[in-house]
Amino acid sequence: TGWAQAREPWQEKFLALPPLHSEAMSTPWIFSPQKYNADYDLSARQGADTLAFMSLLEEKLLPVLVHTFWIDTKNYVEVTRKWYAEAMPFPLNFFLPGRMQRQYMERLELLSGEHMPEDEEELEKELYREARECLTLLSQCLGSQKSSLEIPASLDAFVFSYLALLLQAKLPSGKLQAHLLYFPWDGAEVPPPRQTPVGPETEEEPYRRRNQILSVLAGLAAMVGYALLSGIVSIQRATPARAPGTRALGMAEEDEEE
Amino acid sequence: IYLVAESKSAEPWPENATLYQQLKGEQILLSDNAASLAVQAFLQMCNLPIKVVCRANAEYMSPSGKVPFIHVGNQVVSELGPIVQFVKAKGHSLSDGLGEVQKAEMKAYMELVNNMLLTAELYLQWCDEATVGEITHSRYGSPYPWPLNHILAYQKQWEVKRKMKAIGWGKKTLDQVLEDVDQCCQALSQRLGTQPYFFNKQPTELDALVFGHLYTILTTQLTNDELSEKVKNYSNLLAFCRRIEQHYFEDRGKGRLS
Repeated sequence: TGWAQAREPWQEKFLALPPLHSEAMSTPWIFSPQKYNADYDLSARQGADTLAFMSLLEEKLLPVLVHTFWIDTKNYVEVTRKWYAEAMPFPLNFFLPGRMQRQYMERLELLSGEHMPEDEEELEKELYREARECLTLLSQCLGSQKSSLEIPASLDAFVFSYLALLLQAKLPSGKLQAHLLYFPWDGAEVPPPRQTPVGPETEEEPYRRRNQILSVLAGLAAMVGYALLSGIVSIQRATPARAPGTRALGMAEEDEEE
Repeated sequence: IYLVAESKSAEPWPENATLYQQLKGEQILLSDNAASLAVQAFLQMCNLPIKVVCRANAEYMSPSGKVPFIHVGNQVVSELGPIVQFVKAKGHSLSDGLGEVQKAEMKAYMELVNNMLLTAELYLQWCDEATVGEITHSRYGSPYPWPLNHILAYQKQWEVKRKMKAIGWGKKTLDQVLEDVDQCCQALSQRLGTQPYFFNKQPTELDALVFGHLYTILTTQLTNDELSEKVKNYSNLLAFCRRIEQHYFEDRGKGRLS
């Protein structure tokens, strides 16, 4: 897809996130003549149903996901922006998340179109209501299948990509998560990822601490080294008992003179 | 989605209910015609009388900015979704007999049609340079004097292009769009199978929506026949359109649809 071609390696990481992969729907792999795809054994009718349900999910669930991760202030500041900023190289991590947020806001406005109420609370209520309805419909449909084997693999993956993010992400404001937990069978689709932690903070915790300490030490060493070399600070062996506090004062006085 | 006050829904359907759309011969475009026809078909299926009135400024009269809209009693409702709900509040429904799973399927397929067919129609009308130049621009602005006709047409084109970009269709080529239409038709054809309507013997709002779009595509003259050829590949869809036209439009003395 066009997404994959234009992206840098560090952006490739996010192709799996639902808000970015909606373009995947347009790839006609379901009816691909080569038949080398996940749904080879699928009946044509199931393929048609899959396509229809993907449309439903994209229309009802995607706006709410975008809202949850990018528009909801608490979630955006505490989770989304941190994730992206950590993965991006300097100096892009300063302005790129903000730009993405603006793009998503605009997209949501265009998608809601003229229906969009002026009040943000109203918009939120309406979005969540539609998403809840969609989840209920999905629950009824999937619940009626005799076994999970009857669910087309591609639809499974598609639905999972939406649900997993909602369930796994540690969101401070998780209204939709609460609704999702009402459907116990949904857990049948997501057990595998529960074993592998998804939160990026936990994976990088040990390295982050080490990096922080190293960077502080490096900063200190650079400052002290510069001070010594440029003569701002000179070590006088005559008074070894001089406390660091007074030395700092001495530096400050000399700075003021300069 | 417009909420209908409970007190007003108690009134019966009046004889003078009107549907407003743009001027049929010179102004209305493919996508608006499809939407209007879908609503007309739905109301016919519900046995509710409606008079079609053409106005050049129908788009601006509509509460949501989209056509068609109906004027019933002292209420104005636009677009198929809200109209179906409004009619349901008055006690008429085509999908009451369906089970929960079937209702979910119906909603999913309706989203599929909106997601693919409607978007493809909009793309063809406003993003394909040949169609825009030869047909759309002149039709859209035809009721207005110069230079208003050009200004309005360019403004609308800019709006639609923005929306296309937001949903990821901005970079698509015409061939890809036609491929999507083919996929959608294949899915609809698979779902319909050999049944008379999508949910066997009785038509629902899904049938009305599909009819509106397919009939319009089949009968509208464009710069080339590629779009209608995609639909003509599926004989059961052609038979479906013919069946609804005969049963709900010709037999009721409304005469052939132009």
